[in-house]
Formats: sequence, C-alpha cells, structure tokens
Amino acid sequence: MSLHNRISVFRAERGISRRQLAEAVGVNNQTIGYLERGDYKPSLELALKIARHFGVAVEMLFSFDRFEPIAMTLERAQEKVNEVQS
Amino acid sequence: MKSSHRSILSRLDDTVRWTGIPARVADEMSDAPLIDRKHRPLRWIPIWPIAFSCALFILSLTWPSALDLGRLYVVIVALQVTQLALVPAFHMNGPLGKPSLEDDEREAALRKDSFLFCLGLLAWLNCLGQPILLILSQLQNWQTVHSVSVAISALMLNATLFASLPTLYASWNLRQLPKE
Repeated sequence: MSLHNRISVFRAERGISRRQLAEAVGVNNQTIGYLERGDYKPSLELALKIARHFGVAVEMLFSFDRFEPIAMTLERAQEKVNEVQS
Repeated sequence: MKSSHRSILSRLDDTVRWTGIPARVADEMSDAPLIDRKHRPLRWIPIWPIAFSCALFILSLTWPSALDLGRLYVVIVALQVTQLALVPAFHMNGPLGKPSLEDDEREAALRKDSFLFCLGLLAWLNCLGQPILLILSQLQNWQTVHSVSVAISALMLNATLFASLPTLYASWNLRQLPKE
C-alpha cells in the first residue's frame, strides 16, 4: 500500500531546507528527499518526529489516500466560513 | 623493533595500514573528518570484477586445457587476487562505504537488504552449483588439476560476488534525487 505525504508542502511553507529538516529529526538529508518522493516509507518514530517538528498531527503529513490540492482545502474552508457567517 | 624481527601478524597489520582504508574509516568516524567524502551509487564498476570472475569460472569448466598452461594460470590467479584486493576500494566509495554506525534508518534498511540479497543469492547458487559440479566431475572423469582449477575459480567467484554484489544492489536501488 502506498503512503502519501505532504512533507515538501510543509517544508516549503515553513521555508526550511531538506538539510535543516534532516538535522532536526536526525537523519541524512537524502532520506528526506527519498521520503518526499515516496521512495521510502518512514518508521513510526521518524514520522512522529517530523510531525512534531512541524507541530501538526501525523495524519496531516502522511496518508494512505492522496492528499487533495491545497487550493481545494482552502476553498472548502472558505465555504464553511461563508456558511457560518450567513 | 627491527623489521627483520617482526612477526607475520605485525607485517600483515602493516599491509592493511598501507592500503589506507583503516585511516580513512577512522577519519570518517571522527567528529571532524578532514575530507567530506561523497558515497555515490556505483552502477557499472562492480559488474567488471563479477564478469571477469564469471568468465574465468566458465573457462575453467569448459576449457580446462587453457588453464593447464602453468604460467598462464598463475597470471590469471594473480590478476584475480589483485582484483579482490581492489574491490574494497570501490566499495568504500559506494553507497555502503561509510561506517554503519552513522547510518540512519533508511541507510540501515538498505544495507540490510543489500547483504540479505547477496547472501541469499550466494547460498542459492552454492546449493545448486555444488551438486551439479559433483555430478559433472563424475560424468566427465575430471583430472585432479581440472577439479582444483574449478574449485579455485569457484572460490574466487564467491569472494568477488560477496565483495561486489551488496554495492551493486544498493547502487541500483538508489535513484538520483533532484537538487533542491
């Protein structure tokens, strides 16, 4: 079963390099590259470390299903805000 | 101590030190390595010693008279021994060349898979090959010289495969990462 992740999205959003993230979670920076590309499935420990580094739940970063595009997530969030306001 | 009084073991230690590999491993494991070495995938270089050893093994099986020529055989064995001494040098530059203590979880998994693949393949080849060689030697009435040359080339092939296959497996399992 393939494991999808949004590490590159979070990394870009926080403006940190692969090397910085690798040093923070204690792995080689190439390992972050392979993780982002889906060539390597992390251990539970590494997944939790990365999630803790970004301050989010592990489900926000890793999923068995494809993540929807950020634009769609924002659109749905905006719709909910509009619903609450109306 | 004078060099003439040194034991064989101490001379062997000197030979190992002369290769430079112990100093290199010590440097890589130190807190501040002098040289930042890159361990790149080696997809083609390990194939050469394997091909050479396979060719010699097939030659010793199919054309034993070629190896009966004393000097030629000595030259071939000398070439193989030199090759076996050189194989660790390219292993050191390959993806498994750095000390295993520094591996992260992905690298440790790759190292484990590479050696499992290598040992599994060697076990399978030997389990299958040994009875076949035994039957062949009986059917074709091999002379002692022929049996010895086949045994030596099989030993060299085993040693070459053990030294080269893990690097080859790991190199083909690492895909090029785009630069950030």
